[in-house]
Order: sequence, then C-alpha cells, then structure tokens
Amino acid sequence: MERRTFIQGLAAMGAMGALPLSLSQAFAATVANPVSVEDLPKLKGALTLYLGRGEGGLYEDVLKAIEKRNPDLKLAIRRGPTAALANTIVAEAKAGIRRSDLFWAVDSGAIGLVSDAGLAQPMPSDLAAQLQPQFRYKDWAPVTGRVRTLPFNTARLTKEQIPTSIMDIADSDLSIGWAPAYSSFQSFVTAMRLLEGDDKTVKWLKKTKQRAKTYAGELGVVMAVERGEVDIGFANHYYTLRLKSGKPDAKLDLAFTEQDAGCLVNASGILALNPDPLATNFMRYLLSTQVQSYLAQEAYEIPLVNGVAQPEGLPSLAAISPPKIDLTQLADLRPTIDLMRNSGVL
Amino acid sequence: MRLPASYPMALLAALITLTPVFILITLASDASSFFDSHHLTILGNTLSLMLLTVLGSILIGVPLAFISAYVVLPFKKFWLVFFAAPLAIPSYIGAFTLYAAFGTGGEIHNLLGIELPAMDGLSGAAIVMTLYTFPFVMMTTRSALLSLDASMVNAARTLGMSMTQSVFKVILPRVVNGIAAGSLLVALYTLSDFGTPAMMRLDTFTRVIYVEYNAFDLSRAAMLSLQLMVIVGFLLLIESQIKTASERHGRPLILFPKKWQLAAMFATFAPVLLLAIGLPLAIFALWLARDGLSSFDFSIAWHSAYASAIAAVVAVIVAIPVAHAALTGKAGRVMERVTYFGFGIPGIVMGTALVYGGLQLPFLYQTLGLLIIAYMLRFLPLAVGSVRTSTEHLDPSLVNSARVLGASPREAFTRITLPLTMRGIVAGAALVFLESMRELEATLLLGPTGFETLSTYLWRVYEAGYFGRAAIPGLLLVVISACGLAIMMSGEKRQQLDH
Repeated sequence: MERRTFIQGLAAMGAMGALPLSLSQAFAATVANPVSVEDLPKLKGALTLYLGRGEGGLYEDVLKAIEKRNPDLKLAIRRGPTAALANTIVAEAKAGIRRSDLFWAVDSGAIGLVSDAGLAQPMPSDLAAQLQPQFRYKDWAPVTGRVRTLPFNTARLTKEQIPTSIMDIADSDLSIGWAPAYSSFQSFVTAMRLLEGDDKTVKWLKKTKQRAKTYAGELGVVMAVERGEVDIGFANHYYTLRLKSGKPDAKLDLAFTEQDAGCLVNASGILALNPDPLATNFMRYLLSTQVQSYLAQEAYEIPLVNGVAQPEGLPSLAAISPPKIDLTQLADLRPTIDLMRNSGVL
Repeated sequence: MRLPASYPMALLAALITLTPVFILITLASDASSFFDSHHLTILGNTLSLMLLTVLGSILIGVPLAFISAYVVLPFKKFWLVFFAAPLAIPSYIGAFTLYAAFGTGGEIHNLLGIELPAMDGLSGAAIVMTLYTFPFVMMTTRSALLSLDASMVNAARTLGMSMTQSVFKVILPRVVNGIAAGSLLVALYTLSDFGTPAMMRLDTFTRVIYVEYNAFDLSRAAMLSLQLMVIVGFLLLIESQIKTASERHGRPLILFPKKWQLAAMFATFAPVLLLAIGLPLAIFALWLARDGLSSFDFSIAWHSAYASAIAAVVAVIVAIPVAHAALTGKAGRVMERVTYFGFGIPGIVMGTALVYGGLQLPFLYQTLGLLIIAYMLRFLPLAVGSVRTSTEHLDPSLVNSARVLGASPREAFTRITLPLTMRGIVAGAALVFLESMRELEATLLLGPTGFETLSTYLWRVYEAGYFGRAAIPGLLLVVISACGLAIMMSGEKRQQLDH
C-alpha cells in the first residue's frame, strides 16, 4: 500500500471529478470521512512545532485558528527553511536531544529525511484512514498536494513557445526565475537526479544557472514572471493561482512539462517526533474538513481528504502527466544539496 | 605579590571569548576538503566586495571629511550629523529597501514609471555597503584633519602652491593613516556583514556559511569560517600597526566657500545621502501607508528589547573586571586584548560555533542563555572600551585618599570608583543593548523556539516576499540604531573635550 504512488492517487482524484456522482461516492466509500474540528479532542499542554516556512501568512492563519480553538494549548513554533529544520532534527537526535514534538514540512523530501532516520512516530490507523489509500504512510501524514509548474508571462510568450521537456529548457533562450533554496525546488532536483542521473542534472543546473535569476522564495519567482523580469519560472502551482486571484488581469499563466521532474507532484506533510498522543491529536486538526477546505480555497493547495473541493483554476489533473516517482524516494535529499552546492547553485 | 582581584574574572572572560575558535577548529578538522574551486569564487567575491567598498568609502568619505572639517557651512553641526547618519541604518535594511526599490517592477518603477537597473550582485552589494560604511572613513579622516596645523598649508600657499596642489601634497599625505584606519573598519565591517550579500545574492563567505549551515554541514561551515577568520585576523594585524600621527595641535584650516562651490558640493553629495537615508525611509513609509499597522505583533519588539537588555547587563558585569585588569598590569592588558577578538568574529561564524557548542551542552541548546552569550561575546569590547575610558580618567589619588582615610578597598570601590565611572558603564551598556537589538545572523541561528526578534522577523519577511510587513520593524530598527549612534558620537565628543 505504502509504495503505491502519489500521482496515481491524484490522477484518480482528477478522474473522479469526471465520474457520475454516485459512482465516485461508491469509489470513495473505503475512505473514512474527514472529521470536523467540532468532533476533535481538545488539545491541552505544550507542543513545539518545527515549521518549514515558505507559505507566508496562510499556514500561520491555520495555526492561529487552532490555538484560538484550544486555549489550553501552548504552541511554540520554530520557523526555518524546511531542509534546514529537517537537518536540525537529525543533528539534534544524533546529539541525543529532542526539542520538537512535530515537524510540518512544505515538502515530502524533508519529511522522508527525518522518517528515514527512524525518528518519526507511527501514525494511528484511524488517522491514516482519513486519507485516500494512496496517501497512507506508516509514520507521516501528507497534508496537501502540489504540482511543479512553469509559470510564464503571457505578454512575452505563448504556451507553445515553452519546451515540454524540462531538460530542453536548459538549451532554450528563455530567461528563468528560480529559488534554489526552497525545499520544493530541491525535491524537484532530487526527482531529476532519480530520473536522469547525477551527471545530466549537474549539467542542467550549470547551464540553467547562466540564464537564471535567483529569488529567495517561489512567490518572488512568480511575481518576477508577472512583472516581466524573467520569461518563465520554476514554482509550485499555488503561487500562480494565489497571485491571479488577487490580480485577475495578471499577465501570467501555467505551463507544464511532460513526464519529467518539471511537473513533479509532491505533498506537504506532518510527522510526530513525540509519542505523546497530544502530538498526533494536533495532526488530526490539519486533516480536518475546515483546515483542508481553507488550504484548498485560500492557499490553492490540493486537499487530500474526501469531500473537500479542489482549488479553482487548477487545470484538470488528468491533463498533467507527472513522472513516476514515489514520494518516499524524495527523501534522498542530502546528495541533492551536495550536488547543488557543488554546482554553485545554492 | 598578590594578584589583582579582577584577574580571575578577566581571565575567565578571555577564555570564554576563545571557545568559539576552539569549537570551529575541532569542527573543521572533520571537513572533507580544505579548499576547492568553489571556494576560490567565494574568496574572489568576498575580496572584490571588500575592495570596491573600501574604494567607494574613500571616494565619498574623504571629501566629506574635508568639507566637514575645514569648510565653513551654515548649520555646521547639522551637516556633521547628517553625514554620519547612514551609520544609523543597519546595512541589511538598506540592502532590503534598495533591492525592493530598484529594478523592473521595483517600487520606483511602480510609482514613477522609471525603470532603473536592478540592485543586486557584486555591484549592488558594493553600492549598499559603501552607502552605509563611508561614515567610518569620514570620521577617522575628519579627526585626523582637525589635528593638523593650518600653518603648513598657509606656508605652502605663500610659497605659491595652488589650493588643489596643497590639498594633495601637504594635507592628504599627513592624514593617510586616518584614512587607512577608517578603511580598515570598512573592510572588517564588509567582511563580517551577512545581510547585504545574502539579499544581493552574492556568494561571499558569510552567505555561503549560512547555506552550509542550512544543509547542516557544520564542518564545512566551520572550514569556511576559519578561512574568513584568517582574513579578519590579517586585517586586525594591519590595524594594530597603524599609528595615528601625533602632530602638535594647531589651529585647523578654515575655508570660506563661494556660492557655486557650495552648490557643487551639495549637488555631488546630496544624492548619496538621499539614497542612503531618504530612500529606505521613503520605502518604509510607502509600505506603511499601503499595509497599515495591523499586521505587526509588538511582542516581537519586546523580545528584542528583553534579550538585548539582559545582554547589556551581563556584558557590563563582565566588562568591569576586564577593564580593571587592563589598567592594572601587563597580563591584564593581554586578557583585555583577547576579549576584543569576539568583535572580529562575524555573527554568522559565532552562530555556527555556538549551535554546535549547544548541541554538546543540551542544557544551553536553543535557550535564551546561549543567545545572550553570543551577544555578550560579540559586543563585550564595546562595553570594555567604554568602561575603560571612564576608568582611565579617574584620578587614582582619589581612591588613595579614601584608603588613607580608612576606607576598605571595597568601600573605596563602591563609594569612589563606581559613582565616577557610572557614566561610562551606562554608555557601555547602552551600546551593547543597541548593537544586540540590530544583530541579525547569530539571532537567526541561536534564537530560542518561538523567539522572533525585530531583525529575524525582517529576514523572514524578506524570504517570504511579503515586503510590506517590514515597515514597522524596519523603522523601529532605524530609530534604535540612531539612538546608538547618538550615544557613540556624544561619547566621542566627551573624549575630545577631555584631551
């Protein structure tokens, strides 16, 4: 069950939308319905959360809402780049220290790094049952899905001018915006390494670097594409959708590559480092109907529980052809970082 | 002979100052490679940025020093403060706002429709660093110029030299050391600054150390740190060799400018100051108008103040015995010099060393205590310097009289020495407080969980791209730094009066 790929799951969901209602309900029957926050246990006590930043105010809003609902919860949050926090957790464990009870990462590669080190606590089976069967893992819970995309400036380019292969982009004459320090980008590089091998990836990074402009985050990348500073960017899908929702006339659209790392499908996820049920109960809140719909509607992320509507404006997932990579494979993060560092990209 | 009572404390302080270096050496011994081709790029970038910044600071700082020392201007005091004011803006704030203002789609482009080239890379970093460090050169050069006797120039003029000639042949050669002293400060500041190259995306040592830290390859971060420390040490060595000329004081030169000369001076330097001070403030005002006050959580400012206040108190408590030891004997002076070492350790290096130290000592890891130790180590020299100057000027016969009249050493200290040096102690504490408030990189690495400060909040805003939220913390930081500058400058004035 675990090794089943995430993409098949998403593709199935995309297809599901096209099915007659009764049929899709029958298909979904094996999945427990998402729980409303009203029915969740109250959280009492102190929790430390390591939060991989990158989502700006929206994850903060979720956390604030959870705190407001649970006045007896004392939540301490440590923010940092997702990969840095994953590395911190592993280094702390090596030194015999555990400071965080939970790790919420924007990217499953960093989650895998911690899980592979044997630091994550097992998931309670009833919590896993709320997710689509394809997204059940033994020691972490995916929270929302995201797709790698190529945002492009519609005033400067048409979709047809953009190569459909990510490897060809290195040889094109397009100017590019990227955020190599962002963990979703790093997972994309991991995917490229797995699909194309290290040598080709290094060559691609070095070549692309010559025409790439670096931004601190992918919101910055998408904003730069919109104002025409660069032709295209590499970014998760939701940044473009968010920007377009705030600025409907933005000269911005999404392009997808085909069956390569360029349209990798990935997930944010949470894991517990502390066996205390308080930590797993906190995770339940993130899979609740309310949080999942909020993240879908406001953050344009892809909800992974039943019965929550997909974000508006995302092209049908059936039209996307992601590469065949299992999320757990993305945990191979360290060689990626070494490789990026040695190519002078980080 | 009995050892002075302050020695054990001073020795302890000196040893603690050296621990980060020991940690780095231990860590770096695990590094896989000492130097590779990527390091060469980093070294090149770091040295280019340093040299360009020094050059820029001399080009702006020396003429301004000349003007503020010799030229009769209306509102003379105001101009001096104005010329030094860029020091009141932490360079990372300058980098942040200038980055946001320039370029396609930058605030200037949005607002005025003028498309300016982007401010980033080596040129952007060098411009920003120059704008915020030239006052160092201006101040050291100015005090050197003021110590010169005008009669030399007058003699040169009488013998037929033009004014321009005498500036280059008579005045400048005598203030070379002053210019060099300021340039070294600029070079040290540039080497250890993290925010500017990080925001301008220039791979200097400090930025790459942060990248390595994020990848948690601490041994590589330590190796780079040591390489950076070698350069810093080299500069400190040069600094100790520079002697400021001791000429017999005389009446300084006085020049009365013509109207067109005033206008030319204004036209040359107004843009510089406008860029350094006016633009950041204007950008913050713009963001404030656009985003309003609501999004800022004032507990962040409280965190900053709270941690910095503790650091200030601790630093002064440590500084008093160190300053005392420095004035009692040769060994004490050595100990004092050793504590100065912390000032030369860049914040990002200090952070890396102490994170590793914390992992070995779990009771310190991610605590406020460790952050305060970092502040204390970095800024102790400010407190020591301030306390020492005020103690130096204390007439020893006062203490002796008290002792003759039967006071115990303790009583003499609490009733004579302490009250008379209080001013220096308070000034030292204030300096440490204000420097800790604006510290960015060590706080980023060492801050306890949930402990966001003004500077780290600003950094996260920059990383997330929500620039508008930087307005309030940015303005607060500018105000705080301005207070620090005021204290430092009034201290300098007192010193000048004392001589």
